Amino acid sequence: MTMLVDAYTIFWREIKRYKKSRSGILIRLIQPAIWIIVMGNTFASTRPLIQSVGFHGSYIEFMAPGVIMLTAIFTSIFGGVNTLWDRRYGFMNKALVSPVSRSSIALGKMLAISLISTLQSSLILGIALALGVHIANLFVIFPILLTVTIFSLGFSGISVIVAATSKSQETFWGVINFLGMPLFMLSPALFPLELLPSWLAFAARLNPVTYSVLLIRQMMTGTVQMLPVAIELSVICGFVIVMVALASYVFTREVNKPF
Amino acid sequence: MIIIAIYNRSITYFLLYAVETDNLSKVYSSGLKAVDEISIKVKNGEIFGFLGPNGAGKSTTIMILTTLLKPTSGNAFVAGFDVTTNAKAVRENIGYVQQDSTVDEYLTGRENLELQARVNHIPKNVRSKRVDEILEIIELSDRQHEAAVTYSGGMRKRLDIGGGLLNMPKVLFLDEPTLGLDIQTRYKIWEYIKKIHDEFGMSIFLTTHYMDEADKLCDNISIIDNGKIKITGSPKELKNALGNEIVVFEIDSSDKINTLVSNIKKLTTVKDVSIDGTMITVFTTSGDQLTPQIFQHANDLAIKIENISLTKPTLDDVFLSHTGRELREDDGKYDRKKVRERMRRIRA
Ligand SMILES: Nc1ncnc2c1ncn2[C@@H]1O[C@H](COP(=O)(O)OP(=O)(O)OP(=O)(O)O)[C@@H](O)[C@H]1O
Ligand SMILES: [Mg+2]
Repeated sequence: MTMLVDAYTIFWREIKRYKKSRSGILIRLIQPAIWIIVMGNTFASTRPLIQSVGFHGSYIEFMAPGVIMLTAIFTSIFGGVNTLWDRRYGFMNKALVSPVSRSSIALGKMLAISLISTLQSSLILGIALALGVHIANLFVIFPILLTVTIFSLGFSGISVIVAATSKSQETFWGVINFLGMPLFMLSPALFPLELLPSWLAFAARLNPVTYSVLLIRQMMTGTVQMLPVAIELSVICGFVIVMVALASYVFTREVNKPF
Repeated sequence: MIIIAIYNRSITYFLLYAVETDNLSKVYSSGLKAVDEISIKVKNGEIFGFLGPNGAGKSTTIMILTTLLKPTSGNAFVAGFDVTTNAKAVRENIGYVQQDSTVDEYLTGRENLELQARVNHIPKNVRSKRVDEILEIIELSDRQHEAAVTYSGGMRKRLDIGGGLLNMPKVLFLDEPTLGLDIQTRYKIWEYIKKIHDEFGMSIFLTTHYMDEADKLCDNISIIDNGKIKITGSPKELKNALGNEIVVFEIDSSDKINTLVSNIKKLTTVKDVSIDGTMITVFTTSGDQLTPQIFQHANDLAIKIENISLTKPTLDDVFLSHTGRELREDDGKYDRKKVRERMRRIRA
């Protein structure tokens, strides 16, 4: 219980800071917006290919879930960087000498990143809808965003782990860029898995991003089926549980060392 | 749970020492021994000063005492609890104001304090009142709703100190509370420290390398250098130990300086002598008696005294006599690596 209250305190602080540095929000939206517009039109002619694997909409509609996930991936994987600032500029020590447990600091950060990621992704969803992307019905927006929230909670764990183990910004950004793009590309975000060479498709099957993209796509096109959704949800939730546990473990271990 | 709580309470109630360390050492992974077998006792309710030059190991010691670093060996107890085995209890009983400002610039002064009140588990119903009180004490009530970016260095420091008081700690750690502040602000901060000490009655453990600060504020001090405790006592005791007076004089050449000094050392009123080039400092119980004797001895050796003056010892002199550079170079243990380490720290 105290653990959750403490996590909420850290969450509260992160969100407050986020609100005060709002200038970044729009800038971070530009990139995914460009993706939708440029990629969506460049690859419009691949429609027959995509139709051949059973997707009936336009290419933009195919990739819209991918771009929502792109936003979620990058917002959450970058989100932990302020851990480094906190360690350098003292907030971390303030929290570490208080009765708040190390795990709740990690959890609070992850919850905040996950909310921020959901907000950013909802804006992208809005842009996609404005560009004429068709969705089955408006009520799927809520479960789509919930999927983003849950996924981001797990993915932000990567960010918190990398931030807690790196001593410098350079290391952090190096590792994060090394991880982020491949995890995005190695998923059906831009192309159907069915069209990938089998070894790539296999690798993509190991990637939690894949299951989130598939789930969101199914919800958007209204092709939700019991069994696939159950599989996707359990993979995503399993991933989140593992990441929360791993992140609190690594975070606790690392912050006890001198910075 | 309740029994433990009562037990913990009774420990602190009958507490004799706010801080107690026993051969405490810290070796960093670089191999540097930043804290070297220190044993200190800080009485409950006193203001204790931890004095030392840059890189002496003050912050490292504080970080061990506040549970941020694990000691390499030795024991430390804060508010009666072991910092390694009972870290949580220690954290519930301390306030810690770091050397570098930790004010969150994006947040307002009030929000900064609210955040700290939350992490310190101050119950919701008293939180806002407590924050008001602290803002009053640190005289920031009128600017509490402005973002902390707009605060001056002194205001930030006050906010930092206020943050350390929120949970009404039994032991308050202040790491260099007036570093980098101008004289007026330093005096102001000293007043706050005195005021909160009178008002809350907590023990205060402060580090500084300003002697006047220690002299003004502290009941007892320890001087630390190269990770080792050099001497402990009240400022008055330490000054008296040097003698009541100091005679400083300069001679024309350092040729026979060693003979002169060894002759002076034999005089009954002399407590200690230190040399810096052609400048000689003599600590004595009676300057009036000593001055003519110095002239006599210099005359015998045909040494000319260029100038001479008589002063009262300050803590600066205590500090010099225990950590003086000439001492360190003479004993052959002047450690280049350590000096480089220190320079690196300052630059970083
Ligand atoms: N994280 C670290 N890793 C390795 N060495 C360190 C680390 N932190 C401090 N040191 C070294 O330990 C020694 C003591 O440092 P410390 O910060 O405790 O000194 P200090 O007395 O607080 O000095 P100052 O007055 O400059 O704040 C220094 O030589 C410093 O270089
Ligand atoms: Mg220091």
